[in-house]
Amino acid sequence: MLYVKGLVKAYETADGQVRAVQGVDFEVKEGEFYALLGPSGCGKTTTLRCIAGLERPQGGEVRIGGAVVSEPERGIHVPPYARDIGMVFQSYAIWPHMDVFGNVAYPLRVRRDRPGRAEIEARVMEVLGLVGMAEMARRPATQLSGGQQQRVALARALVRRPSLLLLDEPLSNLDAKLREQMRHELKEMVHRIAITTLYVTHDQSEALAMADRIAVMAGGSVVQEGDPREVYSRPRSSFVASFLGVTNFLAAQVVDPSQDLVAIDRDAGPLRLPLPSGCTPGERVDVVVRPEDITVYSSAPSVAEPLLAGVVEHLVFQGGQTECHVRVAGEVVRIMVHPATQMIPGDRVWLSINPDRCAVLRRGGRSSGRTS
Amino acid sequence: MAIAIPAARERRLSVRAVIPGVVLGLAAAATIYFISVPLAMLLFTVFRGPSDLLPFEPGAHFTLSHVATIYADPILYQAIVPDTVIFTVGSVALGFLIAFVLAWLVERTDIPWREGLFTLILVPLLVPNLVLAIAWIMLLGQNSGWVNVLLRSLFGFSSPGPLNIFSMPGLIVAQALGLVPFVFLLLCAAIRSMDPSLEEASSVAGARPRTTFFSVTFPVLRPGILAPAVLGTIITLEQFEIPLLIGLPARINIFSTRVFWELNPTSGLPNYGRAAAVSLPFLLAALVLLLLYNRLIRRADRFVTITGRGFQPKRMALGRWRWVALSAVLGYVVISGALPAFVLVWGSLFGLGAPSFASLPNISFDGYARLLSDPKLYLALGNTIVVACLSALIVTVIGALLAWIVVRTKIVGRSVLDFISIMSVGIPSIIAALAVMILYLTLPVPIYGTIWILVVAYSYRLAVTTRICRAGLMQLHPELEDASYVAGGAWWTTLRRVVLPLLAPSLAGAWLLLFIVGVREFTLPMVLHSPDNIVLSVILWRLFSDGETIQASALATLVLLLVVGVTVAVRRLFLPRVRGF
Repeated sequence: MLYVKGLVKAYETADGQVRAVQGVDFEVKEGEFYALLGPSGCGKTTTLRCIAGLERPQGGEVRIGGAVVSEPERGIHVPPYARDIGMVFQSYAIWPHMDVFGNVAYPLRVRRDRPGRAEIEARVMEVLGLVGMAEMARRPATQLSGGQQQRVALARALVRRPSLLLLDEPLSNLDAKLREQMRHELKEMVHRIAITTLYVTHDQSEALAMADRIAVMAGGSVVQEGDPREVYSRPRSSFVASFLGVTNFLAAQVVDPSQDLVAIDRDAGPLRLPLPSGCTPGERVDVVVRPEDITVYSSAPSVAEPLLAGVVEHLVFQGGQTECHVRVAGEVVRIMVHPATQMIPGDRVWLSINPDRCAVLRRGGRSSGRTS
Repeated sequence: MAIAIPAARERRLSVRAVIPGVVLGLAAAATIYFISVPLAMLLFTVFRGPSDLLPFEPGAHFTLSHVATIYADPILYQAIVPDTVIFTVGSVALGFLIAFVLAWLVERTDIPWREGLFTLILVPLLVPNLVLAIAWIMLLGQNSGWVNVLLRSLFGFSSPGPLNIFSMPGLIVAQALGLVPFVFLLLCAAIRSMDPSLEEASSVAGARPRTTFFSVTFPVLRPGILAPAVLGTIITLEQFEIPLLIGLPARINIFSTRVFWELNPTSGLPNYGRAAAVSLPFLLAALVLLLLYNRLIRRADRFVTITGRGFQPKRMALGRWRWVALSAVLGYVVISGALPAFVLVWGSLFGLGAPSFASLPNISFDGYARLLSDPKLYLALGNTIVVACLSALIVTVIGALLAWIVVRTKIVGRSVLDFISIMSVGIPSIIAALAVMILYLTLPVPIYGTIWILVVAYSYRLAVTTRICRAGLMQLHPELEDASYVAGGAWWTTLRRVVLPLLAPSLAGAWLLLFIVGVREFTLPMVLHSPDNIVLSVILWRLFSDGETIQASALATLVLLLVVGVTVAVRRLFLPRVRGF
């Protein structure tokens, strides 16, 4: 449904040229919920705005529903009002001089082939019902709360039944509780009407919870793409590993590349973990493992996997879990344990790592290419 | 081991605790005094007669004769009211149109050299209207005005003419050009405050640019644009200099010149009662407009959303028209600023008569010599600076304290105080002058005829400084002050070490603005003048109306230099990179 290839967008600023988007490629299938995830300044919003037609890219191609809407090399730039899209802005952009009905009816009223009054009324009330704002249809826009404005913005984006829905960090201005609730509602609604959705956010838990597929962006390009589980458990760079969730980076040395052996702690013996190709013996690498994938034993168990011995340094009670900092081979490893744990700082513990749940990254970023 | 904690200091009702209340109380009292008392006096005067006695002099009694005389006089309805309306509506319409086009070009199109244009358009703000009026007369006077001389030589028109500044159109054009910089400044602020995503949302919703403009841009901007128009009307209503210099010779009498005439009739004594009676309807009109202005501002504030995102509104691409637009704007700048300045400088050195290279060798500093050898000039210079400095200081301090009361305290009645201070915008300066005059002729305070009456009279413009200090205070998070209190600083320490330094740019800006207004002031010193309190603007008028054009031009040039010099100095010191405040 949405096809983006080689998108390039640069700005002229007082300090010279800023290349906000440097060659972005991705595709969103029909009905898919696709997230662009990344820190501020990574180019995700600019990419979205290029797709909407609010920015003119310098290079690349954008196709919506098979039709080319932007291709600077051939001089093609379809303006926003001619693209079949709906967009929710981060500030909602609700027009203050109209009421709720006026805001939502606007996309229908400004079309050349505007439907009749009865049909406009019906479609507006239908979509307002979808977002739960049907009773407020005549409320002036200046009297809406943040959450209500957001629903109206969504209704306005959907009323034309566009083929593509664009969302620019729509939940970032809401408080935490409301944000969680809206996350759920939004995903439900989008799936129910089966609309292709592109969602921009810097909140990784939001992207993981809502998207069918995620593209992680940094420095103006996509650094990894995949479904949430894949991106989370098989990060291909230290950036992606640390951006999503909490990660431990354990310094290790390659023992034998042909047998996939690395050693984190020389005393513990080597671990068999999938190594990226081209490793040399003795090469320094990082083992990337999530806290939830480490099992901790308070006495040395007799298990087959190699164990790492360590000392508990710190415990941080977090309500639903306790984060535990364990010093292993000179590094601090973060693990999650049940809040009712009996551990105290100073305890000797043994850590066991599930080899299926780690990745090994070469110093310099690239990692094992094994997918789940 | 426990550490001994010193016993908390007891709160005693010391002098230090009472100071804030006293200071704020004084500020409130001053506000009421400077604004309400003169007005009350004015109202009183309307109904006290006979006309040659002051309202409280022995022998005065209540009467409706002034009201009867003025409102039964057909002149009021045949000439004064219509002329005032035509003048006001004409100048505001023309001035607003020019200002809007300029503001739109600078803020919403890709016209080149925007920052420079912004500053250039604002420069005439510094120029006293009196100076502008003289310059226009020198340019467009029927006989020897430069433009007429040029047109005659180019097109063969016969003298006098073809253009005559001493006419209603001339009056309107002169006043409109004087209004443009201020309205331009306000319009730029309003246009800039619009959230660009409102237009983007419209575009994404399927509206073409034209539809977006009429359905979104214009309705959202409308209150923010109408407000400056209304404010411009209030200001035009009180205009005096241009109607005096250009209107009177054209026998156009608007209300401000009429009030002046009642106070300075060609024969007979000043008629306070009638002057007051004429003022009434215009005061009411100004106050009604003020209420309208307040409503519009509140509506505009509700429409403004603050996004904080870095995306600028789409600037309209002018294409081939870029350079045409730039030339037009530069043309305006030349006509409204450079040309009048040039006319004055030239006039001061070469006298009347159109400029030509042939006359260059005749340069003469005679005008300056005679001007500078007149002791009255130095008296006037001293007076002008003292009065402008002092009144600006008074009004800035009171304004700051008022702003504090309104923004930071919960004192009952502070919105009334705020309203009184806002009201001062709606008081035409001729009425303020009249009111002050009557008040101090009546009160046994011996300041009439001294510079102190000018200081008091100038000090009624509280609205401006209060607004500026309010804006400055609102940007100052209260927690900055709380942190000081917690760290042990009492009210005065906090004020001195935290609030004032942070508020300094607003205070300096307010002071500077009022200083400029004070130097430009003409109506008040004109009505209240005496040989002792003469100021530069009154001398300028005297010279001009006595026919001493060269000296008048010389003085005008010097005034320009003074105001520009002070502005540059204060901006360097206090407002390093403020964009056109």
